[in-house]
Amino acid sequence: MSLNKSMRVLIVDDYSTMLRILRNLLRQLDINAVDEANNGEEALSMLKTKPFDLIISDWNMAPMTGLELLRSVRGDSQLKRLPFIMVTAESKTENVITAKQAGVSNYIVKPFNAETLRAKIASVFGVQ
Amino acid sequence: MLRETEVAGQLGLGDAQDYLDRLIRELNGMDSHKKLPLVLVLEYLSRHIRVTRQEIGALRPDGRRSLGTTADELEEIVAETAKAANAIMSAAEAIEGIAAGLPQPASGALIDAVTRIYEASAFQDITGQRITKALQALQGIENRIETLAKACEAIAGPAEMPAPAGDAALLNGPQLGRAAYTQGDIDALFESLGNGP
Repeated sequence: MSLNKSMRVLIVDDYSTMLRILRNLLRQLDINAVDEANNGEEALSMLKTKPFDLIISDWNMAPMTGLELLRSVRGDSQLKRLPFIMVTAESKTENVITAKQAGVSNYIVKPFNAETLRAKIASVFGVQ
Repeated sequence: MLRETEVAGQLGLGDAQDYLDRLIRELNGMDSHKKLPLVLVLEYLSRHIRVTRQEIGALRPDGRRSLGTTADELEEIVAETAKAANAIMSAAEAIEGIAAGLPQPASGALIDAVTRIYEASAFQDITGQRITKALQALQGIENRIETLAKACEAIAGPAEMPAPAGDAALLNGPQLGRAAYTQGDIDALFESLGNGP
């Protein structure tokens, strides 16, 4: 099995450059149904109005960090099973542990390469 | 003579210095040779307090090379690198569009190169976050200096660095975006100066 190219992805980052990088790298994976949010609060409001198959989110944002977004998603009965990949420069052990305890599906440290992104998405969906 | 209550109350560093100066004046008015070592010590303390207040005053973020200006410069770096990263990615996206229509292996090689450009463009996010941390640290230092300056009743002192003069005064580096002249501004100014040397 390979990646589902029609998956709907919400990318969340307060840096427009990073949103553009993610969008371009996802496009190279033939994933084109991509929406953008600039912070957790904006993302949460989008998640309540539109269906998504995957969230790829930064951690350090305001208002509402990626961790707060993750906890909100996991605490919502409609969204709690939604795959959530954290893409962040926060790379201390305690960050990874905290994110894992909050229910993150996978964790990518910035800067990352295209193959890492592909591999983590594939891993989350249990495909090659 | 000074009253005991003047010393016992809550004195600031400025009050303490005034108190010492008054004490020195009063001691100098006394007719005793034993006063000299005490006057010397008190004069030393008074001078030391004055210098300390001046040094702290010079650190206040309203000087020519203030922390506030440094913070502005750092914010400008974030904005400039974001612009550069976006320009690089626009060019890479254009190349990717063209590469899609080329035969292999040229197409694959170009798309691989474009992918590497996308990956490398993450530098803007990383440097931006680091600069934001530095900005927060600067803000913290600025707040502490202000608190210290108030506590010490800081006074204006000599600037830490002398103002550059002559040609050196013309070397200010890139101007901050909001203050910078556009090429149009430069052209207008240049024209307004006439044809002479």
